[in-house]
Amino acid sequence: MWESVADFVVQGIVLGGLYALIAVGISLIFGVLDVINVAHGEFFAVGGYLVFASVVLMHLGPALGIAAATAGTFVLGLAVYPLLLAPLRRRLGRRPSGSLYLVLTLGLSTFMQNGLLALAGGEYLQIPPHVRGILDLPFTSVSYQRLLVLAIAAVLLGGLFAFLKLHRYGLAVRAVAQDPDAAQSVGIVLGRVFGLTLALGVALAGASGALMAPLFNVYPAVGFPLTVKAFAITIVGGMGNLVGALIAALVLGVVESLAVMVIPSQWQNAIAFAAMIGVLLVRPQGLLGRAVAR
Amino acid sequence: MSLAIEALHAGYGDLEILQGASIRVAPGQIVGLIGPNGAGKSTLLKTVFGYLRARAGRVEFDGHNLVGRRPDQILGLGMSYLAQTGGLFPDMTVHENLGLGGFILESARRRREALDELYARFPLLHERRRQLAGSLSGGEQRILAVARALMVRPRLMLLDEPTAALAPRFIDRVYETIVALNQSGIALLVAEQNVEMILAAAHHVFVLDLGQNAFDGAPAKLRESAQIRRLYLGDA
Amino acid sequence: MSRTRRPLALGAAAVMLAAALPFIVPHPFVLTIATQALIWALLAASWDLLSGYTGQISFGHAGFFLVGAYAAAAVTKHAGVSPWAGLVVGTLAAGLVGLAVGFPALRLRGHYLALVTLGFAEIIRLTAQNWMSLTGGPFGIYDYRTFPGLPVEPLAHRRAAYWVVLAIVAASIAVMVKTCEHTPAAKAFRAIREDEVLAATLGIHTTAYKLLAFGLSAGFAGLAGTLYAYYIVLVSPTVGAVGTTSLAIGMAVFGGLGTIWGPVVGALLFYGLNEALRFVGVVYNLIAVGLILMVFVIFVPRGLAGAAASRPRRRRSAARAGGERALGSTGN
Repeated sequence: MWESVADFVVQGIVLGGLYALIAVGISLIFGVLDVINVAHGEFFAVGGYLVFASVVLMHLGPALGIAAATAGTFVLGLAVYPLLLAPLRRRLGRRPSGSLYLVLTLGLSTFMQNGLLALAGGEYLQIPPHVRGILDLPFTSVSYQRLLVLAIAAVLLGGLFAFLKLHRYGLAVRAVAQDPDAAQSVGIVLGRVFGLTLALGVALAGASGALMAPLFNVYPAVGFPLTVKAFAITIVGGMGNLVGALIAALVLGVVESLAVMVIPSQWQNAIAFAAMIGVLLVRPQGLLGRAVAR
Repeated sequence: MSLAIEALHAGYGDLEILQGASIRVAPGQIVGLIGPNGAGKSTLLKTVFGYLRARAGRVEFDGHNLVGRRPDQILGLGMSYLAQTGGLFPDMTVHENLGLGGFILESARRRREALDELYARFPLLHERRRQLAGSLSGGEQRILAVARALMVRPRLMLLDEPTAALAPRFIDRVYETIVALNQSGIALLVAEQNVEMILAAAHHVFVLDLGQNAFDGAPAKLRESAQIRRLYLGDA
Repeated sequence: MSRTRRPLALGAAAVMLAAALPFIVPHPFVLTIATQALIWALLAASWDLLSGYTGQISFGHAGFFLVGAYAAAAVTKHAGVSPWAGLVVGTLAAGLVGLAVGFPALRLRGHYLALVTLGFAEIIRLTAQNWMSLTGGPFGIYDYRTFPGLPVEPLAHRRAAYWVVLAIVAASIAVMVKTCEHTPAAKAFRAIREDEVLAATLGIHTTAYKLLAFGLSAGFAGLAGTLYAYYIVLVSPTVGAVGTTSLAIGMAVFGGLGTIWGPVVGALLFYGLNEALRFVGVVYNLIAVGLILMVFVIFVPRGLAGAAASRPRRRRSAARAGGERALGSTGN
């Protein structure tokens, strides 16, 4: 019995790592731009397609494939702010209008998902595992593929936090999240920070899409359920709070995994939403409150 | 350096606040901007620094046109802005805040030099450099804001009600700092509710009412006019 | 007095023209499209009542639609209830769910409200997908009867079904418009959208009116669902996915928020366009939906309704101006 539990916990941590990559990206974008990116999951899908193209079509090998997918999603993300969000911001001026941006990203989500469908077709594309083999642990065993996901998630998130803490532009991102007017007064160009932040956030999604492609298969709508769940996670952790998103993601991963022992598996997905609704009713600012990485 | 503002119109949405205000700051001056609430003092400073877009009028700084420019560009021309409230990054340390003040400096070395200069000038900040800015007292925060603005060696500083919500002993310190800054060659345009302090420190004062100029002159002249005293200086 | 007469006359004329459609174009395919367009129009209008008019952003209308559809189908299949009564059951069920969602959401605005409604809709969809015994699981419910008493011959049947749907949709829109223009609720809804705190201090029972808006909006969305259920004679969980909400919002934005009739026009035009584009390629119509949503939100915020009005800025109607402001208030 304990072997099962250990099994589930390990799977849960890996799942949590995946959730974290997506939730942190969403939280980051919200914390800096005040926008909830409904299209986030579509970048996950794009990551999957890019890794498919690199590994299966161009035989580039997993390492290059994952790197290409991450870079490709980053570049695509760079286009989103200037093309879509900036024009809306220009028209609205300084008026707060979170919900209009929501509708805008909803449109982007529909556009991208169906664009992928049109470009690549609807079949579930398969990708061979990036690494093969199984690691045997005392109570359980875990595939190297899943360990890879966890390892790279840790590296990427660690890199992001380091960037935010140490690099000049990372500080600029935090500054804009805390006080955009003050940020402007020290010479930070808001548009550039917004664009960079969005690209960073969706690149995390793209990377996770590339990492998970062997496990999930690749198809246009693969990212959407994750997005909705990631919203729930970020609300539980506190919208805009990166550490909160990380912790909530890991906790949810493990809880979902363990819950399979108690409830039928199809209801796993409802846990996140129930938690979100609960938090919104009792403590809307999230368990850790709203604040961006210190 | 010189700042010339002519017939400036600006506002928020459908609301037009500035209706043709004109201000001049000559080299080395401390210029005061006073007037009732809603007269447009804050709006004027925000428009000069590029937070708001001027709807009509001219703003020239050392021969450069400022209308339509972004705040980061105006900062690059040598003008700093200190907001009335906020303006600091509360969840960052004093050190990080100051560092950000030098965001537009070309190199990390220049930034370090500027930081060293400011720490020498404001030892209090050096003491507190690892503290979160949000945990400083009101007066200390004001000093930090000023120090941060100095990182880029501005030639002109715009101060929006620098003494708002400050305890009296801090008000004196702030004005000591303002005078010291001026003596080191920086011109200042100060919007103030605290009329007494600014009249004591300024070389020239503009009175704004309903978005337009109501009066301007040396502080002594303002004091002489009973009408001005009554309307704007709160005298009986 | 003529200000209220003119829209009324226009509306009546539109309905009469619509009723004449089967004689103008007696093609069964066109009738099918028209019927479905009307169902979407009702859904879009119901969304507008809550989100555009009262300012409570819902990303979960697909859930209410699904509840109405499943309630009607289930009750007709398992309890042998007549579809006419099934319409009522579906509407009531959805309205109750709307209240259930609206109640906890009272304190939320903007982003958070949208996300909580999305969460509820997803839970509803997951329930429909997984509760095999009640809902038939992923396959849905499909062996129940449609409206009784309609002619058997295919063209005549579609014509009759079209008229039934037209009558119900037209009546519903009329009720919604009347509620939003000529009742005390109208002023309350607008006040809540503009400035909820102020409305409360002015003595408006914001809680009651918000719940009313939720209940009405969900109820009409559910009614659209029941019409869908009896017309298509198949309900499955996919219809409750976010795509449905997205489409409804797109139609509303296209037509013009905060007007009720704007989304109706938007939905009819949009659906017609959608079907016309089907001949180009099935997927491209949804790409167009996404594009239209984005383009309109950025450049044509007041939708067709706003563009059609040639009134100068100052005199634009509060409803239309507020529609965008509804989406324009941030979540706090």
